[in-house]
Amino acid sequence: MSPSPSNVDTDVASFRIQRHPTPRKVTTLAARTSAVALALLTAGAALALTGASPWALVREVVADTVGSSFGLEDLGLLVSPLLLTGLSVWVALRIGAWNIGAEGQFNAGALAAAGVGLYVPGSTLFLLPLMLLAAIGGGVLWIAGPALARAYAGVSELITTLLLNFVAALLVYWLATGPWLDPGGRALGSTARIVHEIPEFWGSVHWGLPAALFLAVILGAVLNFTRWGYEIRLCGANPQAARYAGIPVRRRLVVVMLTSGALAGTAGMFEVAGTVHHLQGGISNNFGYLGIMVAVLARRSTLGVVAGAVFMALLLDSGTVLATRGVDVSIVLAVTGLVLLYTAIGDEVAHYRIVRTSGP
Amino acid sequence: MNLATGLLHTAVLAGGVPALAALGEVLTERVGVINLGVEGLMALGAITAVAIVVATRNPTFGLLGAVGVGLAIGTLFALVTVIVRANQVLCGLALTMLGTGLAAALGKPYAGTPVPALFGPCPIPYLSRIPVLGEAFFSQNILVYVIYLMLPVGLHLLLFRTRHGLNLRAVGENPAAADAAGIPVQRIRYLYVSLGAGFATAAGAYLTLCFVPSWSDGVVAGRGWIAVALVIFAGFRPINAVLGALLFGLTTALGFLGQARNWPVAPPLLSMLPYAATLMLIVMPAAASPRVRRLMAAPAALGVPYFRDER
Repeated sequence: MSPSPSNVDTDVASFRIQRHPTPRKVTTLAARTSAVALALLTAGAALALTGASPWALVREVVADTVGSSFGLEDLGLLVSPLLLTGLSVWVALRIGAWNIGAEGQFNAGALAAAGVGLYVPGSTLFLLPLMLLAAIGGGVLWIAGPALARAYAGVSELITTLLLNFVAALLVYWLATGPWLDPGGRALGSTARIVHEIPEFWGSVHWGLPAALFLAVILGAVLNFTRWGYEIRLCGANPQAARYAGIPVRRRLVVVMLTSGALAGTAGMFEVAGTVHHLQGGISNNFGYLGIMVAVLARRSTLGVVAGAVFMALLLDSGTVLATRGVDVSIVLAVTGLVLLYTAIGDEVAHYRIVRTSGP
Repeated sequence: MNLATGLLHTAVLAGGVPALAALGEVLTERVGVINLGVEGLMALGAITAVAIVVATRNPTFGLLGAVGVGLAIGTLFALVTVIVRANQVLCGLALTMLGTGLAAALGKPYAGTPVPALFGPCPIPYLSRIPVLGEAFFSQNILVYVIYLMLPVGLHLLLFRTRHGLNLRAVGENPAAADAAGIPVQRIRYLYVSLGAGFATAAGAYLTLCFVPSWSDGVVAGRGWIAVALVIFAGFRPINAVLGALLFGLTTALGFLGQARNWPVAPPLLSMLPYAATLMLIVMPAAASPRVRRLMAAPAALGVPYFRDER
């Protein structure tokens, strides 16, 4: 408990507002729910100002997303990359590192997977695992520099991972429009179709979704129930204490960050082999940035990552539906920012409690 | 213009964008607040400037409008990070997403249309006639002189040669001690966080009014993040920040030159140069001697909100 605030004079007052170092779970949940609701309300109000009728749009969005099996399939296709990029950012946060570069690692993974899929001969059964390995390699390679620089030179991983996003996006764009361009292709700036596909299990939804869920469960179990996971959480909560306890903090940090990159790379492979089947510029579709939102919404909970991914998929899908009604797709990014802003405020406000003080 | 002159001229012009934003971020971070929303602010400044200049045909109005938008958003950002004391990293990322998304949506009608009035060249008498350097440095638009000369020198003097600058730095290093010494911690933080945001949107306006004279989605292209990186490279010093930005500008200019001269390197690969160079710049201080590293270290309270009653 923090000492009572000195700035409130309480001779007769019987209530006062106090900040507590750790917020209650219920308060946090309430604050976050209101944050999301408020963000959506703000967005709705902004839409109403532009002359659109928010209610009509909401009805259409609901009908086209969760209201039909096609809508649900689209949602399922969006959940798996968001789940993986969300896990990627989330696992790095557990040890106190901000991986803002999931977008770049996603692109690196997609690129590596597409390269293998396009140019290595062999059967699908052999090539799918090989593509996955390549994608993991790509993601790991893309975060290796920032991870080592953070661990051994104290360089902020926030900015290094982010700057590499632009490099990865340019690399994908260059390959898809240059050396790997399919000259006979219908689409502009895209490689030939990658014939090795992740099989589908429900409509157009491929096995990447269950695989991503499985990875979430494994990762949650490892972090919560193993000694290694405990050490990671300790390093994140208090690196000094972890070092005194004899935990190799730097090595743990590097391993966790590489895992983070591997997860984002995997997301890239699933997108290439499961959904898009080409490599093209903009394939990452902001999934890496939206993954930050998923991880923040999840806090420390693994289940929260799944819930966050579903929520963000809904938001992203609503955006695509709204785009057909003349609302700009970029609004999704803006609304995501709004949700993030209100969530940050809500998290802080949740620290405050109204405390009854015994009168004199 | 010969090769060297052209290269330097473009470098100075291109470097102005991250230079201006980095100067604002130096102020923000010196008082102990990290604003990761520069990228979004820059996008908003760029589109505001374009919209105003299309309507009024006066670039000065465009710049002033962008600064106004920046100050307004900065005030809100300061309210959230300094008064409410919410997590600064989250709020900054939120501002980047919000600004980028909003600017893209608002900018749709303006995409591709050239800006009708720009800040024209404003050669300085005598100096502009120096061979090579004169054309590169002293035949630029008026904002270039403000960004490279007046602002960095002014801010350097403010930070390191005035009592107020000492107070300002104390707030970023140790707010509790500053508070005990009677310095109004929250007021100073509020002021410079708002001001820093104004610099960031001004950088966006400079981008569309001096460098790339039109709006397109993604025109900011990470320059906001590069500005944040330059602040670290500069050791939180205004003059160093501008010099770093000039280096960034040079790599951008090299990329342009390569495209113009048909170097056997693909344009997207040349576009990577500035990001790669910035990555190098930001890793470099780690190799410096411990003494230099201590001098260039971040303000001790950077990113940490100040609670008076938890002193």
